[in-house]
Amino acid sequence: MKERIRNFTKRKEFGIILIILVLSIGLTFMSNAFLTIDNILDFLRSNSVIGIMALGMLPVLISGGIDLSVSSTIALSAVVIGNFMLKFPGSNPVLVILVAMLSGAVVGLLNGLIITKFKIPPIVATLGTMTIILGAVLLYTGGMWISGLPAWWSSFGNFRLGSFATAAGGTTGVSTQVILFVIGCVITSFILKYSLVGRGIYAVGGSESSAIRVGYNVNRITVFIYVFCGMMTGLAAAAHISIVGQVDPNTYTGYELDVISTVVLGGASTMGGVGTVFGTVLGVVLMAILKNGLILAKVPTYWQKVVMGLVILFAVSIDVINRKREQAKLVRVDVEE
Amino acid sequence: MGKTFLEITNVSKTFPGVKALDQVRFDIMPGEVHALVGENGAGKSTLIKILSGFQQPDPGAKIMIEGKETKLNGVMDAIKQGISVIYQDFSLFANLTVAENIGINEIIEKNKPVLNWKEINAKAEKALAFLGAEKEIHPRDLVENLSVAKQQLVAIASAVAQDARMIIMDEPTSALSKNEVEHLYEIIENLKSRNIAIMFVSHKMDELFHVADRFTVFRDGQYVKTVNKNDVDENTLVSLMVGRKVEIKNYADLSEKGPVALKVEHLSKRGNFKDISLEVHKGEVVGITGLVGAGRSEVAQAIFGINHPDSGKVYIEGKEVHIKSPSEALENGVAYIPESRQTQGLVLPKTIESNITLPVLKKYKNKLGIIDRKRQRASVDKWVDMLDVRPNDPDMLAMQLSGGNQQKVVLAKWISTEAKILIIDEPTNGVDIGAKAEIHQIIRKLASEGTAVIVISSELPEILSVSDRVLVMRKGRIAGEFMNDDLTQEMIMSKAVV
Repeated sequence: MKERIRNFTKRKEFGIILIILVLSIGLTFMSNAFLTIDNILDFLRSNSVIGIMALGMLPVLISGGIDLSVSSTIALSAVVIGNFMLKFPGSNPVLVILVAMLSGAVVGLLNGLIITKFKIPPIVATLGTMTIILGAVLLYTGGMWISGLPAWWSSFGNFRLGSFATAAGGTTGVSTQVILFVIGCVITSFILKYSLVGRGIYAVGGSESSAIRVGYNVNRITVFIYVFCGMMTGLAAAAHISIVGQVDPNTYTGYELDVISTVVLGGASTMGGVGTVFGTVLGVVLMAILKNGLILAKVPTYWQKVVMGLVILFAVSIDVINRKREQAKLVRVDVEE
Repeated sequence: MGKTFLEITNVSKTFPGVKALDQVRFDIMPGEVHALVGENGAGKSTLIKILSGFQQPDPGAKIMIEGKETKLNGVMDAIKQGISVIYQDFSLFANLTVAENIGINEIIEKNKPVLNWKEINAKAEKALAFLGAEKEIHPRDLVENLSVAKQQLVAIASAVAQDARMIIMDEPTSALSKNEVEHLYEIIENLKSRNIAIMFVSHKMDELFHVADRFTVFRDGQYVKTVNKNDVDENTLVSLMVGRKVEIKNYADLSEKGPVALKVEHLSKRGNFKDISLEVHKGEVVGITGLVGAGRSEVAQAIFGINHPDSGKVYIEGKEVHIKSPSEALENGVAYIPESRQTQGLVLPKTIESNITLPVLKKYKNKLGIIDRKRQRASVDKWVDMLDVRPNDPDMLAMQLSGGNQQKVVLAKWISTEAKILIIDEPTNGVDIGAKAEIHQIIRKLASEGTAVIVISSELPEILSVSDRVLVMRKGRIAGEFMNDDLTQEMIMSKAVV
């Protein structure tokens, strides 16, 4: 047990938890609005969209790849389900979510096939699909918003599970979007930990040539990774539209960077091989607290971006520095003293 | 000991231009440690690749397992037939747990979509317990957090978990400390007592005589002899390995050399090398040899500014220098040609021209800072001619060339820097005999034009051919120094191994 605890303190997640605790304590003293149930549930709700996308991005980064196209994919899925609901106002939320995930999966399949069939590096392949899909979406919508979604959709988006008393005297509960995020966490976690394909993702990220040598089907795993990322991005589109109540295809620019930084902040390595759902959840929470805290601390909007960037650089460079230091300590020759 | 587990005869392997194995044979009993010995290039690694199922032998080879003729079609097939290989680098996944590394072959073979971690961990624990390592290694540890010795245990445990009947260990002690080697001997005894056959591949005489029951010697891809441990001593074994086949020209020139170009004093770095002092004169070729892992390349990289020493001094033409990076080394006239030219020395998807002129592009700048393509091409043509790179088309991509010609391009690349001091690491690694002689001539030509050259090589014939003076390294130190005058391979080996 002692060893378990010591091992845990050595893990990356431990550092993130410490940062979260320090920030939370600081913010609680700075603003009495921070540590309230409605503030917490509220910032979890607004960050669940990035969170769900991060769950899709996590396997991609573990495999040593990257998916830049998620910002366009979420726009596409949002437009698809927006139009779907206008066309079929008698439909239901479950069907909408499935349509969203399917549209995302199609983009993921495209990415996966381009990467494996044409051996194009993921960063180039997804940069291409990102631009093409965004272009197609704007061409189709003319950049116009889609509004007037059915009433059942907004009640789905505003649903609350449980009821907690708020300081202001009202009640609040766990929102639909947070529930979707939690379900996403459970599924992703299961896939990564208990499925053959999930373990293959870690193996590919650890050493692609060894993964081939022990018999993993690397192409199939790669396609799976990008399809999964697309599906999660589609789910995130549904979560986002259920919060804002309308579709603005222009709003998602730059999401890919937010998502990637969240996953990296959560301990995943851009070099591949490393990353967990638990870490990603912590990354989401840390990002959320940072954004929330910077607002509560009344930091000007543009400065918020600067601070976020610094935090990401800091978190990632600590990891790289530690790795380098360990490498330098390696004994290369058995020197006779 | 019962009947033979594996017996191979008439095994050959031809690569384009090279016969890596020529009708060799080998056999091994259950519970026996049979060492395969030979110099670099003797064909040991090729045989390992064939036995692991990674490569197929030329037609006509006969492989018998437990008296039945068989084929080893692929890595999985070899494992199923009881042969596991522990590579020098272990081929483990550093980012995964011990248990997963041990069970990975079985996990994939079973192809069950959902994994049972309890079962995987229990199997790993059993395999570790089999080796008596269950206390020091936990199945849930990450492999990257383990020491090299423990990683090796994991690799062995993985072979055990696959029910290996024969384990091939490729240079298993190259990264281990003395105590760890002792522990490995215990493990090997343990495996022997359980009737597992072990093919032990190593250069180190003391270890071979400690651990092996029989030796089979290969030389230049050919089978030489199989001997029992009790019928042979170290000297005889070394002379069997080295043979009497050296007709490579001896270029040694023992005449007075120019002034000292490079001087190194008491250079040390923990875990790399200790108390290295050496001098290289203008126009001299100094060979540095010793076993792989003796610290030769580490010293060269220290002089070149890649591997920073803890203490010691380096002088170039009498002036003390503190070289901290390769670009500073080049400014000081030091060039280093690395061992693995494909990964460290060449940009494979680029042309011969851009590879050769990469370190010296600055030289071709005109007043506007733009590269003068005509001058660049003219000097590339000169180098391609001088080194006889074939095909002599500077627009060929480096990846389209043969190994020998790639090596010539690497040489041209660094020679074109007009360095005063040139360090060449394994100049003819993977190069055929003809190209070898040409490269040796180029090295001598450079020296005769006044360059101070250090050649690092494990191939003793090469060292004896090209050097004026020879330094032998062992375990991070310089163990001997010889003028190349009536010098023999045996004299060098006696300093390189103990």
